[in-house]
Amino acid sequence: MIGMRPFALHEGNLRLLAIGLLSLWSAKSWAVPSFARQTGMTCAACHTVFPELTPFGREFKLNGYVLDNIKQITGIDIDSHQTLALNSIPPISMMVQISYTHTSTALPDSALPGALAKDGEVLFPDQASFFYAGKIANELGAFIQLTYDGVADHFGIDNTDIRYAHHLSFGGTDGNSHNMILGVTLNNNPTVQDVWNTTPAWGFPFSGSSVAPGPIAATQIDGALAQSVAGLGVYMWLDDHWYAEISGYTAAIVGGAHPLDSTQSNVAHGLAPYWRLAYEQRWDRNSLSVGTYGIDIKTHPGNGTALQGPTDQYKDVAGDIQYQFIGEDHLVTVLATYIHENQTLNASFLDQFAANATNTLKTTKLTGEYSYQRRIGGSLGYFSTTGSNDTILYAAAPVVGSANNSPDSSGYIAELNYLPWLNTKLQLQYVAYDKFNGLRTNYDGSGRNASDNNTLYGLVWVNF
Amino acid sequence: MAIFVKSAVIRIAVATVSSGLLMVGIAHAADESTASMTDAQKAALQKIIETCSACHGLNGRSVAPTFPNLAAQTAPYIELQLHAFRDQTRADPDAQAYMWGMASQLNDASISGLAAYFSNQSAAAGKSVNATLIAQGKQIFMEGVPGRQIAACASCHGAQAQGNGPFPRLAGQHAPYLLKQLLVIQSVLRTAPVMHGVIKDLTRDQMQAVVAYLESI
Repeated sequence: MIGMRPFALHEGNLRLLAIGLLSLWSAKSWAVPSFARQTGMTCAACHTVFPELTPFGREFKLNGYVLDNIKQITGIDIDSHQTLALNSIPPISMMVQISYTHTSTALPDSALPGALAKDGEVLFPDQASFFYAGKIANELGAFIQLTYDGVADHFGIDNTDIRYAHHLSFGGTDGNSHNMILGVTLNNNPTVQDVWNTTPAWGFPFSGSSVAPGPIAATQIDGALAQSVAGLGVYMWLDDHWYAEISGYTAAIVGGAHPLDSTQSNVAHGLAPYWRLAYEQRWDRNSLSVGTYGIDIKTHPGNGTALQGPTDQYKDVAGDIQYQFIGEDHLVTVLATYIHENQTLNASFLDQFAANATNTLKTTKLTGEYSYQRRIGGSLGYFSTTGSNDTILYAAAPVVGSANNSPDSSGYIAELNYLPWLNTKLQLQYVAYDKFNGLRTNYDGSGRNASDNNTLYGLVWVNF
Repeated sequence: MAIFVKSAVIRIAVATVSSGLLMVGIAHAADESTASMTDAQKAALQKIIETCSACHGLNGRSVAPTFPNLAAQTAPYIELQLHAFRDQTRADPDAQAYMWGMASQLNDASISGLAAYFSNQSAAAGKSVNATLIAQGKQIFMEGVPGRQIAACASCHGAQAQGNGPFPRLAGQHAPYLLKQLLVIQSVLRTAPVMHGVIKDLTRDQMQAVVAYLESI
């Protein structure tokens, strides 16, 4: 995924922008049988329907992915300190996604003016991933994903979270003492370390078409930084209620010129603080969490300009609520998140990548999910991004631009899922746009309507 | 006939209790073995207890009714079940989904240590939902259902449902968990020789009453 804001239109490279947009909207997907192999528990212990986590799944992740019930290869030193605890079977998994995408109206041909591209596209694979997901040593575990992207046609690093977690008890007598997990996370995508499904990295939709057009604007925290930053953070999980984390992110772009230079884009400057605070209450078969998260990041637009001088600053502040009911037969989840972004575009304004020195974006996502016996289910989601108009950032252009220079997009996502086995999902998704890049009709100034981008997406998703 | 069935149940129960006495002996040994554990062994046991607590709650008092309370459960029963999970002889769906894996690497000393630990925690408080149902359930628990040749639960599980050796404590246990156990035992997904005979004619309504009572005490 690449950050794609204040550069591409200015460069006139609409194809590049289109790829960026598609990537932003593209599939993200994780569920790892190696955790099941390591713990000896079925997927249902950690997931309602993968990749969404149950309360136990959250505990497992917060504990550093180390819980094991598998033979270990161990070593100790002369002082009885453990020097090795390695799963006898490596925690390797594989995921394959095969998809079909049909947009309401075919997209323009990328080379022949006036011609249309093929519609009704099968991607085989849409994505194929290898995972190392499990214990590395006592209190140290990892989730590392390498993905082959069927559109980009290359292998690359995907979501990665390496973490250390230490459990401790303090205060009070037995039965009244506090329990705490103290952890450290090293990761490449802000919120990939998070355990609730309201935050962007693991949020709804859990998968989506990588060839259908996606809206022009998204906040930085909402995927724009994925795999282009590296973050180190510390977190605390207290008494199964309170979560607090502070992390710092810096530029770590994969591919392109290194050391990073003007040919890169959206390059983080310095160390960006990320925070997360959440409270979870569990009762009976229910859990409810309320939280806030955000990032304050400065970036160089790059894209032909030097990675020096003024920067763009994005301050993202978000709130989220998650509710889960996990019954014997019926499972219900409600996810809500709201992200507010203040942009101070000193660099982009100076370089004429943006018409305004300051802009805002606001994103709302609401999702309701239901599953019967983790076998048959469906989801309904609403999404909306609104913000200030900008004649350069959101210029008119076929398909990907905005005739009224607006970042506003909104719509609905409906999904049907059937899981013949816990590690196999057959999914049918429909994305319907109310508004796309500012308008309902002729949004791009070239005659395309928002509903022309409505997308039917069929997916076969297997993990083993 | 009713008397015959009841006496047969008692005979089986006595036989099971006899083997239970053996288990009680093991439990005492477990206490002793915990006391005689090295610091490293105690630390390892503590780590296992922390793992259990992820589902069974801090100190064995769980939040979600999918997972039973373990606090104050009888040590012999905990040991028997952990052995049954490890040996994969308890094979109801949740046992396979969760406990086969969790128990697979436990050794006998760990099992004894866990049984000793959880049996010594203070029990979860009961919660009452439906007074009418609870009253019906109490009657079944204390007196059985003579018309259907169902023995009184209290005869094995104790008048306060506090458990007795291999017969588990039921007091304060989550009603949905207990109901599910009655169903999987009745359908023989979970093997429990004494219980198969006792509850084979227990109706679902009667089950719901008795588990409501047990959750309330």
